[in-house]
Amino acid sequence: MITFSNTVKRYPNSFEALRGVSLSIEKGEMVAITGHSGAGKSTLLKLAAGIELASQGSVLVSHQNLSQIKEAGLAVLRRNLGLVFQDHKLLFDRSAFENVSLPLSIAGFPRADVGKRVRAALDKVGLLNREKSNPVTLSGGEQQRLCIARAIVNRPAILIADEPTGNLDQDYAATIMDLFKSFNQVGVTVLLSTHDEIGLARLNCRRIQLVQGKVAA
Amino acid sequence: MRAWIAAHVQAAERAGKRLLATPLASLLSVCVIGVAIMLPLGLYALFANITAAASRLNTEPNVNVYLQVAATDADAKEIENRLKAMANTTDVRFITREVALAEMKRMASMANLLAGLESNPLPHAFLLKPKSVEAAALEAMRKEIAAIPKVDAVVMDFEWAKKLQRFATFAERMVALLGLVLGLAVVFVTGNTIRLQMLTQKDEIEVSRLIGATNRFIRRPFLYYGALQGFLAGTAATVCMTALIWWASSEVQALTISYGSDFSIKHLTLDQVLTVLGIGAALGWLGGFLSVSLYLRDSATR
Repeated sequence: MITFSNTVKRYPNSFEALRGVSLSIEKGEMVAITGHSGAGKSTLLKLAAGIELASQGSVLVSHQNLSQIKEAGLAVLRRNLGLVFQDHKLLFDRSAFENVSLPLSIAGFPRADVGKRVRAALDKVGLLNREKSNPVTLSGGEQQRLCIARAIVNRPAILIADEPTGNLDQDYAATIMDLFKSFNQVGVTVLLSTHDEIGLARLNCRRIQLVQGKVAA
Repeated sequence: MRAWIAAHVQAAERAGKRLLATPLASLLSVCVIGVAIMLPLGLYALFANITAAASRLNTEPNVNVYLQVAATDADAKEIENRLKAMANTTDVRFITREVALAEMKRMASMANLLAGLESNPLPHAFLLKPKSVEAAALEAMRKEIAAIPKVDAVVMDFEWAKKLQRFATFAERMVALLGLVLGLAVVFVTGNTIRLQMLTQKDEIEVSRLIGATNRFIRRPFLYYGALQGFLAGTAATVCMTALIWWASSEVQALTISYGSDFSIKHLTLDQVLTVLGIGAALGWLGGFLSVSLYLRDSATR
């Protein structure tokens, strides 16, 4: 589903975030990327989501080379990708409901089906009673869950989450890890990064450790 | 197809909402664009009327040759032969002083005046048509005729009409030029308001791109926004212009009546109004397109 081959990512300041990474994630698999901060976890996820381009080597997602894909092709690919961001990237000028419905309106969903889909996603993350709230009034954990609801509302085949439990206390972290586990159980390929050992133990999945931009042996 | 229509309806709705979300700012930009549209439109209306008025003037080239009052019938006969012999004259008409006086007496306002005169003050005159209306040829002709003894004056009364026509053509070009420049101004003004719009929606654009929005999807509501703004500005401009023409026309009407003319002012036709609205919308759309394309290019992550 996701394949990195000898992937190098060099930033314009010539810093090498990834120094030849090769890995493969199968369909329906759940993989956790671990490592210290600065090891290249975020860069790897950004390459997998097509947010950054590889400097050398290639990144294949659903058999498509992200270096060669066109703007429109990437947009279509992303609709099949659920992205959970460390900083949530929620829009504070609209309600929780409207935040979650954004991917559906982008994908051109018939309006009649939008409400049902959005409420199902909000229910899944336990925010059904907050649909009219502005995200700014939600706690950190709730914002993270709202971001997850937005990522899954389109029922993507792949879920990519960068430090989804980064700034959360243990209880919240556990609920969120359980959420990812449940998505994986219904067949979603999950790729997430974390340095939370307790969360990792709870996930009990394949781990790939990055050390200074390389996969640790 | 249905999804495509739905996407456009949605984009138009969003554009309308954005326009209404900041009513004062929207009103101001509509006014600015409206003024930019109204300037060339106003000049166009003005010169269209001047051209219409000018075309009613007699621009047939006529040259009037007035003899001295002392010139006799015999003198006139001789001068007539000389005029007919000239290379650049065609139709030479002799108007005797008696005929001229009779003609003048028929004009009501002149009759009283002339009744008080003891003798006929009018000279013999010739009316002739030149073959060539080239400025140089006419000037040569004027000199030649003026040199004939007993010729008092040579009047080429069509010259100013010619000048007026030339001026109208020049003015038309100026209007076109001004229209072009102000059309560009409309594009830039719309482009700028849309750029500001996009800055306030930076986050939304970024998130939308990350979750699968194509550039076209992002661009669409801004295009509608620009077109809507241009359309509203065009509407404002034509409404103001029509009001202005109505306001001016009552004065013009009074003026033309006092000059005994039946000239009436030209109002904007429906075609012209629709053209202005269409151009306004098209320029707004173009401004939006340029602005969003530049923004998307600069903010592209790849």
